Amino acid sequence: MSALFDENQLRCLEAVLDTLIPPDDYPGAWQAGVGDYLLRQLTGDLAHLQTSYRAFLRCLDAEAQYLHQCDFADLANDERSDLLHRIEKNRLETNWPIEPGAFFAQVVEHCGEGFYSDPGNGGNREGIAWQMIGFEVRG
Amino acid sequence: MSDYDAIVVGSGAGGGVAAAVLAEAGKSVLLLERGRALSFEQVGRDHLRNQRLAIYGHNAGPDIEGNPRTLDPASFPMPVGERQGEHRILRPHEPGYQNNAACVGSGTRVYAGQAWRFMPQDFRMASEYGVPAGSSLADWPIGYEDLLPYYERIEWEIGVCGDHRSMTHLPAYARPYPMPALPLPHKSSVHRRGLDALGWQGLRVPRLINSLPYNGRPACINCQHCVGYACPVDAKNGSHNTTIPRALESGNCSLRTEVMVERLMCSVGGAVTGVEIITADGSRESISADVVVLSCGAVETARLLLNSATAQEPGGIGNGSDQVGRHLQGHYYPGAVGLFPEQLYDGVGPGASLATCEFNHGNEGLIGGGMLTDEDIVTPITFWKRDYPPDVPRWGPAAKQFMRENFCRINDIKGPVQEIPNPDARVQVNPAVRDRYGIPVAHLSGTSHPETVRTASFMRERAIEWLRASGAIAVWGRKPQQYLSGGQHQAGTCRMGEDPAHSVVDNFCRVHSQSNLFVADGSPHVTNGGFNPVETIMALAWRTSEHIVANW
Ligand SMILES: Cc1cc2nc3c(=O)[nH]c(=O)nc-3n(C[C@H](O)[C@H](O)[C@H](O)COP(=O)(O)OP(=O)(O)OC[C@H]3O[C@@H](n4cnc5c(N)ncnc54)[C@H](O)[C@@H]3O)c2cc1C
Ligand code: SF4
Repeated sequence: MSALFDENQLRCLEAVLDTLIPPDDYPGAWQAGVGDYLLRQLTGDLAHLQTSYRAFLRCLDAEAQYLHQCDFADLANDERSDLLHRIEKNRLETNWPIEPGAFFAQVVEHCGEGFYSDPGNGGNREGIAWQMIGFEVRG
Repeated sequence: MSDYDAIVVGSGAGGGVAAAVLAEAGKSVLLLERGRALSFEQVGRDHLRNQRLAIYGHNAGPDIEGNPRTLDPASFPMPVGERQGEHRILRPHEPGYQNNAACVGSGTRVYAGQAWRFMPQDFRMASEYGVPAGSSLADWPIGYEDLLPYYERIEWEIGVCGDHRSMTHLPAYARPYPMPALPLPHKSSVHRRGLDALGWQGLRVPRLINSLPYNGRPACINCQHCVGYACPVDAKNGSHNTTIPRALESGNCSLRTEVMVERLMCSVGGAVTGVEIITADGSRESISADVVVLSCGAVETARLLLNSATAQEPGGIGNGSDQVGRHLQGHYYPGAVGLFPEQLYDGVGPGASLATCEFNHGNEGLIGGGMLTDEDIVTPITFWKRDYPPDVPRWGPAAKQFMRENFCRINDIKGPVQEIPNPDARVQVNPAVRDRYGIPVAHLSGTSHPETVRTASFMRERAIEWLRASGAIAVWGRKPQQYLSGGQHQAGTCRMGEDPAHSVVDNFCRVHSQSNLFVADGSPHVTNGGFNPVETIMALAWRTSEHIVANW
């Protein structure tokens, strides 16, 4: 649990991040700590985005409910991807208080930052993303 | 009786040299720096907040709060910072601010130490090419020969490694570099293949880095965090570990940090008498000196002169001809990224392996040109943010796969373009916006000359050609746009010249209107070469400082 998001929102966030960087034989975004990165940033450099993040997660669930009668996190992988592609292109069925495509683009950036930047930022746990791509810190 | 013989304002590339030369000549020197002395740990290795990728901040100053600048929105192609009236207000790590750094050593604390001499032609651009409309292209009042002895001193005393025999674009070196070039990373064989196929001359990138133990410090251990970070073994030679310690060890220099020089104090007769400073706790002091040397970097030196207006010089010190702050330039850095079939990455830092100076001059229909080299090690997030191909998905399995398969098979080639200066690219002061000390901030306006963009476009094509000839299977990268340039290679705002009507400082970098005020940083550069500028800044500062001592 976090002070920023309720349990549903966290579940939705995990599902979004793992759709952006999905697990395979290497961890996906969530397991690699991108959630920790983001929660930290949302009380720091990205504090101004707290409300928008909550709105984004809420709307994503509403959109999933409208299209599939379930929460975003309960969708199958390809359904999640399809839905995020629609959001990216601002093709929506429900009303959004934020511009979905533009905000989604920011979420993609934040996810990459958490996954590929240094573990000191809270994500990329034990340098797992660097191990995956071959960036080795030796000195 | 003055408090000091000399005050040097700013402890970066130029200021460090000035402090060392003056103090070692027996002058009492006060070196003032607005930033802090930063340890290796304080600089840190935050991949999101450094002088290379400054998404949320940076690691070598200035502090991101309390040090704003304003920008004319027309100077930048995208909406940066925050709108405030007609201007945009920027924090130091935001694009368009034109930051270098602010700490003891400034940019030299975190640079990658590429150590280039300018070419003889770089000092006489107007004579070589004529003056294009709308530009203020001019010759320097001095030439390569004048700086040569100082280039050699920098190479030997501060410490440069390289292969002088490979520098065939320059007159033959009388003295080799004191240290051999750094070991070549694996990717150099790939880039060498391209050079050979094209018949282009390749050369080793000279660096202000110890390839062998030198000056009492160890050799480079080829780590993966060179450019934008501090050196883990102190093998990178910057002001903080060369010139400033020399100045301090002479017993004649004191360094004060977190001190902001607010303005210069002047006598009525055309001499400065000292400086007024504000310390970290907000208290003000006046300190007197017989000589003042400004080494604040091109933007801040201009700002300080403009903020020091007197009854005699109401437009700012040295600004009788409205030249202070104009001709701001830096380096366009065009290039392209290439994807190769084989692994390039081997983690051997700093990373850049080979350069070519085939295109610095003699490009048909163009004015000047620039050097090209492959890139230093790029961190994964920097690659992801800056170098990612535009036609590959940015999320989903394909994005992860792309990073996984290709991070080690990618390299970019790029280089600094000699910019064509124009008087409208300029620094002014904006009294409506104040920094944390209450001092009017720098206001930036104007844009690059179209010839700069043209040369940059040409150089980008050459980078693509080199990548392809080396075997790249895909090549991408943005085309150069028009914008105001300056940044880490900022220069030109206190132009050097014989005629006070068209310049700010004379050919020994003394402000024309003041008998004892000198500039020792990138500001006097009439043009900025097609090379990273720091060795020239240091060499010029050395020459200026020696002149000050000789004529005391
Ligand atoms: C990441 C990075 C990589 C780089 N790599 C290279 C490279 O490989 N090769 C190369 O040639 N160049 C490189 N550079 C650029 C190089 O660092 C600069 O060209 C050089 O430092 C400029 O020297 P300068 O003397 O003009 O000013 P600076 O070195 O910027 O020094 C100015 C100093 O003055 C201080 N100051 C300003 N105003 C005041 C005031 N009012 N009161 C008190 N103090 C003040 C500032 O805080 C600063 O410390 C790099 C820079 C960076 C940041
Ligand atoms: S590559 Fe690393 S060890 Fe070598 S000089 Fe640069 S920072 Fe120091």
